Amino acid sequence: MQLSEILKNEHVLLDVNVDSRETCIDELTKLMEKTGVVSDSAVYKDAVLKREEEGSTGIGFGVAIPHGKSSGVEEAGLAFARLSDEIDWQSLDGKPVKSVFLIAIPEEKAGNEHLQILSQLSRKLMHEDFRNKLLQATSSDELIAALDE
Amino acid sequence: MKKLLAVTACPTGIAHTFMAAEALDQAAKAKDVSLKVETRGSVGAENELTEEEILEAHAIILAVDTNVDEDRFEGKNVIRVGVSEAIKDPSGLIDRVLEMEEKSADEYVEQVQNKKKEKGAERQGFYKHLMNGVSFMIPLVVAGGLLIALSFVFGIDAAENEGSLAYYLMETGGAAFSLMVPILAGYIAYSIADKPGLAPGLVGGMLAEQVEAGFLGGIIAGFLAGYVALLIKKYFKVPRNLEGIMPVLVIPFFATLITGLLMFYIINDPVAGIMGGLENWLQSMTGANAFILGLVLGGMMAIDMGGPVNKTAYAFAVGLLASEIYGPMAAVMAAGMTPPLGLWLATVIAKKRFTNEEQEAGKAASVLGISFITEGAIPFAAADPLRVIPSLVAGSAVAGSLAMIFEAALRVPHGGVFVLFIPNAVTNVLLYALAIAIGTVVTALFVVLLKRNSPQAKAAQANE
Repeated sequence: MQLSEILKNEHVLLDVNVDSRETCIDELTKLMEKTGVVSDSAVYKDAVLKREEEGSTGIGFGVAIPHGKSSGVEEAGLAFARLSDEIDWQSLDGKPVKSVFLIAIPEEKAGNEHLQILSQLSRKLMHEDFRNKLLQATSSDELIAALDE
Repeated sequence: MKKLLAVTACPTGIAHTFMAAEALDQAAKAKDVSLKVETRGSVGAENELTEEEILEAHAIILAVDTNVDEDRFEGKNVIRVGVSEAIKDPSGLIDRVLEMEEKSADEYVEQVQNKKKEKGAERQGFYKHLMNGVSFMIPLVVAGGLLIALSFVFGIDAAENEGSLAYYLMETGGAAFSLMVPILAGYIAYSIADKPGLAPGLVGGMLAEQVEAGFLGGIIAGFLAGYVALLIKKYFKVPRNLEGIMPVLVIPFFATLITGLLMFYIINDPVAGIMGGLENWLQSMTGANAFILGLVLGGMMAIDMGGPVNKTAYAFAVGLLASEIYGPMAAVMAAGMTPPLGLWLATVIAKKRFTNEEQEAGKAASVLGISFITEGAIPFAAADPLRVIPSLVAGSAVAGSLAMIFEAALRVPHGGVFVLFIPNAVTNVLLYALAIAIGTVVTALFVVLLKRNSPQAKAAQANE
């Protein structure tokens, strides 16, 4: 099982322009709705925004990982956006955000393998060289390959 | 080196749990601090902390936004922060817990005792039933053994004089001893089948006692009675309105009947034969055989320090008390005392081999050692098993075999150093004390020889 199986090519936005955290989540949700990962975008978005209320998912270092576990999700999925202009995410370190991972987890029996992968992604995000790769990738293929390394 | 532990958990258990874990791991690596992180994410708990690790840990960092079970960290340094703090400033968090005061040795003793309790609760199956029987039997052995020992205070033949105090003491002690096997069998059966097992178990044990099938017969009777009662309960069906008579009439009657007849027709003769043979062998045993038995029993006491092997050796020795064979009991107790005592001695004579915490723990281990609580050695063994456990086994084997060769005899199944002062509880008491002392020294020498210097001592050397 590889990260690329849940981070599909169609789930990647490179150098996209969004003006707020909510539009960013909207854009990424649309991508996952198209591929059938998210079946009910309104329900899913509620879960994601509720999680943001509990505490910002801006983890610092210019990265945010909004996520939601919701019945509006068919199967585990991951979407990525690299923003052309940094936006505010009320991050832990107070800095604006450049890279956003949106994570979708189904309410019932989320497969363990998927969760394992997401936990590995979370661990990788704590490493600077990995974050740099996100910023340097020139295509979605290159980005997905970097994730799987 | 101070060992640190951490638990991370966040509400969804998908991202922050693991980022916090990674951040702490990295910070610990940068500082060269030992840290293990348990993650409690939506995958479940991963990299779980073990009891041993918690026992050894200097402090535990809880970076959690949800409720986690904190009971297991009782008596330890615990710092509780939100998960985001571990992501933001893992290094500061580690500095904070490193500065926390060391917990005292008293709390350490308390932990060892809690650990023993938990272990008891975890026991399963055969072992659990057997230990239930043994634990109910032990008070009888203690009372009986001490009363008989006391009767000898009036002279070795004083009890033969009917109507004298010595005679009554001997009779009371003897009554306690004759209940040992029935109680052993009864409470093995009770553990298996609950209340309906008790009557057939007691009766089966009584029959084993009468034909001198000893503790072996008692154990067989107990298991037999327990499972017979259990089977009747399960498969014997009565009409619904008569169900009330099952536990008071049907099960006790049939289970006792079946157990009794099986004891007479099948069990008693061969087992009494085996027991007789075993008793003769043990009683006539001298020289090399006694040495080997002591060696084996001693080694068993040290190898898992309170685990199943240790308890098997212990149960064997206690069981033999019912047949008035006291040598193995002496060997077993000596061997059970030397692991913590030897470690204490090692911390005194070779401070460099131990961290400051271990030197403190050594003092506590000495108290546990003289009280015959072998478990006191566990934290040391867990920290460095390959070097410590062989040392403990060597010392215990020496103590056990010396106790056998010195023909020391112990009439009570517990008590540590304190029984040495009770008149007649131990035969050849001075040589017995010598056996324990030599075992302690051997353990300590092996530990000092095998163990490397602690990181603290290495650092001090490097500075010189």
